[in-house]
Amino acid sequence: MDFPENLPSDVGRLEQIVSHFFPKALHIVLNSRIPSLQSRGRTRERCLSSSSGAGLNNNNVRKSDKWFNLVMGDRPAALEKLHSWHRNILDSMIIDIILVHPTTTIPTDDDLHDDDGSVVRSAETVIERWVVQYENPLIMSPQSSDSVTRYQKVYKKSIIMLRSLYAQTRLLPAYRVSRQLSSSLASSGFDLVYKVSSFSDIFSGPVTETMKEFRFAPVEVPPGRLCASVTYRSDLSDFNLDTHITLPPRIITDYVGSPATDPMRFFPSPGKSIEGTSFIGRAGRPPLTGSSAERPHSWTSGFHRPPAQFPTPNQSFSPAHSHQFSPGLHDFHWSRTDAFGDSHQLSPPFSPSGSPSTPRYISGSNSPRINVRPGTAPVTIPSSATFNRYVSSNFSEPSRKPLPPFSPKSTRRSPSSQDSLPGIALYRSSRSGESPSGLMNQYPAQKLSKDSKYDSGRFSGLLSSSGSPRFGFSRSPSRLSSQDDLDDPDCSCPFDFDDVDESGLQYSQSLDRRKASSSISQSLPIGRKSSQDAAVGVLVHMLKTAPPLRQDSSTYMASMSGVQKEGSVSVSVSGTESEFSMARSTSDALEELRNYKQLKDLLLSKSKSGSGATRVH
Amino acid sequence: MNCEVCQLKELEVESFEIREVLRCILHTIVFHRALGLIRPKDIDLELFEITYVQCGEIEVEKKIDEKVDQFISWIEKHPNKKSQICLSFYEVKSKQPSWFTNKIERLYWEQWYINLNVLQPTKAPVGKSHHSKLVMDPGEASEERSSRRTLLEQSLQEVLFQIIKFVNEKKDHVPPINDGVIYCPFEITIPSSSDSAFGMDMFKRILHSGHPSMLG
Repeated sequence: MDFPENLPSDVGRLEQIVSHFFPKALHIVLNSRIPSLQSRGRTRERCLSSSSGAGLNNNNVRKSDKWFNLVMGDRPAALEKLHSWHRNILDSMIIDIILVHPTTTIPTDDDLHDDDGSVVRSAETVIERWVVQYENPLIMSPQSSDSVTRYQKVYKKSIIMLRSLYAQTRLLPAYRVSRQLSSSLASSGFDLVYKVSSFSDIFSGPVTETMKEFRFAPVEVPPGRLCASVTYRSDLSDFNLDTHITLPPRIITDYVGSPATDPMRFFPSPGKSIEGTSFIGRAGRPPLTGSSAERPHSWTSGFHRPPAQFPTPNQSFSPAHSHQFSPGLHDFHWSRTDAFGDSHQLSPPFSPSGSPSTPRYISGSNSPRINVRPGTAPVTIPSSATFNRYVSSNFSEPSRKPLPPFSPKSTRRSPSSQDSLPGIALYRSSRSGESPSGLMNQYPAQKLSKDSKYDSGRFSGLLSSSGSPRFGFSRSPSRLSSQDDLDDPDCSCPFDFDDVDESGLQYSQSLDRRKASSSISQSLPIGRKSSQDAAVGVLVHMLKTAPPLRQDSSTYMASMSGVQKEGSVSVSVSGTESEFSMARSTSDALEELRNYKQLKDLLLSKSKSGSGATRVH
Repeated sequence: MNCEVCQLKELEVESFEIREVLRCILHTIVFHRALGLIRPKDIDLELFEITYVQCGEIEVEKKIDEKVDQFISWIEKHPNKKSQICLSFYEVKSKQPSWFTNKIERLYWEQWYINLNVLQPTKAPVGKSHHSKLVMDPGEASEERSSRRTLLEQSLQEVLFQIIKFVNEKKDHVPPINDGVIYCPFEITIPSSSDSAFGMDMFKRILHSGHPSMLG
């Protein structure tokens, strides 16, 4: 065993163990508790460790630091003085760790009062008391083993004891306090100080009751034994350290935008739990981003606009799937909506009942709608007869596009177009569970392109020439009139939107797509099925397979190219065997694409003009 | 020399917590048995507000990390199992060679059994309505997770206290410190893929103390 010093006398060596034990224990305790001593000690240790390179060797460690095979680094001057003070090993060493903390007291006449009349003082509370002492028995027990062996055993046990004392200092609550104070930036009014004495002040009653004690197993060091114990407060929450201590700022590497800054992820309101539920249901989906090729969930169905279109700085959904609904964002959201002229509202398709929690500003509408920014109006689902007319008209116009309208500019209002609203029909059917007709795939963007008055999104071109479905667009009186023209009194679709308001079109795209995928698989002959459900189903399917209304050209073009690759207008990508879809040609698809694009550009320009520049970021 | 055995309190951990918990416990034990000249290293756990101490020896760190990785791999193949990791300290003794025994023998003088119950990630409870499930599950799951995490932190602290207490109470069986030896030689035994971990463990012990030709 490598002892720092070899003394001829066994008693002398044992006494040396004891005499070095005290400063070592003191060093361990104060190094882990007092911030000022910590920094110095740790800096020194870092220098040592960096300079040692391969590891610890005897050359870079001071002799005094090798005691008990525990390298602590240089002792601060304060500790050196303490060591020199503690000469008599029979004297106990009591280390009090005292927490200096602010406390409010009842002011006296001599005190300076705060505004609220209370006086803030600094108080000191002993949170830990370490006691190290060498108990010398009155009667000396006979020593059986030889001195060397005994010395080795004593030294080994004292090493173990100090190891456990070292580990214990890291486990007690005061260690966290010390770390917090070490890393705090500003003066918090808290501090840890120490007091070393050879006698103890009796704890006050309440203090001792809250304190626990841990006794280290004593080490027999003939003729006495080394003892160490610690009495500590197990609960330091009374001091409210966390609220007072300012920690240095930390960089959050995985930060995701908050709802306040990313309104696209957020849909109000706090009291509208149904919307929250619906949103949450969708929040688990992949995030809505400008570059995402898949359609966003229902909140933004039909408005797959890039962030620039909305008056929000960050319109992409964060991958974190935030489920937060804060009133602040709600206010912001709707204020921006107001900037649009109160025409842009989003409501969850899952809450079609128009619950009071629905964050919709639909005026005069009792039926649930899905608003699409900027400004589309509810549509009504055409009847089958209407669909038949649409089909025939579509056939007569080879330039028609089979896809649901996308471009706002391409919205047309042509009586001959016989436009239906496949998107809305899709929605309707999805909600009603009706099966669509394959005919609905035919309702093209070309219809939209023919009607430039319609500046709303996907369904603008779907204005039925027959009067139904009605399709409302925001901020366009002409649309309103056209919708009136297109009203089909025969249409008894439950999804009729009787009111066309400026709030825009509401629909649930994602929901529609899901349900349409299940319903669109049914292939219905053109003109043969008089069921309204079939027509609705076709619309649903068209909506489902229509590309998102995004400014992201890559996404848009990808979706469009996907459509074009079909070789037919049909959006029956899921393999619908509609004879109607097969009859379409690529040119029709291209024409429809152009119409959609025009419609989209129109809508985007409208949104830009009406956005106002209220950006969160 | 007797072999002291310490059974540590069982901890319920999730798979991603295994590494931190095991490293904390193993290093704490080895720190108390690294009686050579060391510079202790304080390590803060990331998942818990606990700081433990390492002895600072790179070989120890490598050995422990390797075993922890092996254990995690084993746990992935054997989920939902209560497992036990055994940390054994031994002395290498040279014995008189005979036709039964070999010159080198390991005498185990202390064994620590770390008991872990690895939990699988909790799933959403069945039976709730769709909407309420979506609304409540994130909050409930996070609350449950945080309470379980708090309990685990307290349990881990108790285990560390248990280690310190055991180390303090039993010192006589610790072999003397040899010159130049930083830490007492140890081995970590993790459950093996075979059902009979005990049998495999015994087989290993026989190998170590078996025929000379079997040794590498």
